[in-house]
Amino acid sequence: MTARAEADDVRLIEAGSVPARFARGWHCLGLVRDFSDGNPHQINAFGQKLVVFRGEDGVINVLDGYCRHMGGDLSQGTVKGNEIACPFHDWRWGGDGRCKLVPYSKRTPRLARTAAWPTMTQDGMLFVWNDPERKAPPEEVTIPRIEGATSDGWTDWHWYTTVVNTNCREIIDNVVDMAHFFYIHGSLPTHFKNIFEGQVATQYMKSAGRPDLGDPEGSKLLGTTSLAAYHGPSFMIDDLTYHYPDFDQRTVLINCHYPIDANSFVLQYGIVVEKNAAMPEELAMQTAIALGDFVKMGFEQDVEIWRNKTRIDNPLLVEEDGPVYQLRRWYEQFYVDAADVAPDMVDRFEFELDTTRPYEAWMSEVETNLAARAAASGPVV
Amino acid sequence: MVLRTDNRLDDAPMAPVTCVRCGAGVEVRKSSWNQTSVQWTGAALNRCEERCTAAQLAVDSGHALFLSCSALSGSIADAVHSGALQVVAEIP
Repeated sequence: MTARAEADDVRLIEAGSVPARFARGWHCLGLVRDFSDGNPHQINAFGQKLVVFRGEDGVINVLDGYCRHMGGDLSQGTVKGNEIACPFHDWRWGGDGRCKLVPYSKRTPRLARTAAWPTMTQDGMLFVWNDPERKAPPEEVTIPRIEGATSDGWTDWHWYTTVVNTNCREIIDNVVDMAHFFYIHGSLPTHFKNIFEGQVATQYMKSAGRPDLGDPEGSKLLGTTSLAAYHGPSFMIDDLTYHYPDFDQRTVLINCHYPIDANSFVLQYGIVVEKNAAMPEELAMQTAIALGDFVKMGFEQDVEIWRNKTRIDNPLLVEEDGPVYQLRRWYEQFYVDAADVAPDMVDRFEFELDTTRPYEAWMSEVETNLAARAAASGPVV
Repeated sequence: MVLRTDNRLDDAPMAPVTCVRCGAGVEVRKSSWNQTSVQWTGAALNRCEERCTAAQLAVDSGHALFLSCSALSGSIADAVHSGALQVVAEIP
């Protein structure tokens, strides 16, 4: 084959298949307050049906959703004391997964166990540990504390939940996808850096405001600084600061998900906003809600792309794209047995992107848009 | 999943750079003067003085993010100046 013929070959999209297992790690199931009403809650996660219930002792438990007796759905049952009672024959199961009582029987099958999932509550959120090897979470695998979540100086969580019908790798890819922030989300990245190390994947981004978008009389947003990191396969903490002429507004945005199955996931995002002189109590909560709506719009823009795109294992990249392949190598650590995590999945990798050329191209687009808008609104008399 | 390699590395692969301060060996790719990839190993990270200092500070402050090592950045710049490391944008 000549070089010429090779150059003319059509590049094929390789998609492989979605993973047959679910990522090892802590997954946030939602806010503790939403599981604390004394009723069992059904959660479809990791290809299974789970039941989440809070006992009278205040402990939140997660069990396999089906009773080991005759297969009743425990999420349709009742919390009795610290146990979940099956709606079918009233068998009682404890948070440790053991059968505690069969009210109509002389003997309880005490050795019988159902699957119980390790849980953790932190900063108002409920986490569950998924591990296909069924091992306990290692001590060093943690989720950092979020100062604003428990401080009177910040608002309470403003929280959203939605179902997305695609494999969850799509949302992970956003960590490195600098250019989509301009084309999909209407921001203007001016600085972009990724660092992957251990179980943490970080994105450090500064963005300028887009003068060609939105109401010209509207916000005087100068730009944003975002330090966002996945801690494990599914839980991202974004320290996101909005810069205004007079002050900086600090917020924390959570972007987390858990897989329902290989082709769908539950996306959740939550926001807390710092109160300050320019942002007292009530206004801070309104801001959290407004920012939440803004973030919601951003994810809807992503979802619209995901709904129509194909999975691609061999993306064709230019120099101004982020480190997609290295990110996926990092992500792979959560899909192999703990003993098979290779050094190159966890070794530190740094990538700083030169935004000079993208910025030039995008500013020229912004100026074209502004000129078009000025022309459309007619001469100012 | 079969992990594929970045098509950009076919044109210009990562190249070794040794830090002049601590001797840590890393793999580097400079796409342009302002765009740099650095692949560390566990051994290199343990040698890095700035990293070790940052790790100690992180214990006190709770902030663990280590953006980069200034001595390594200087060593990478030296490698470009001496011609040991090519900048992809400047390859004819």
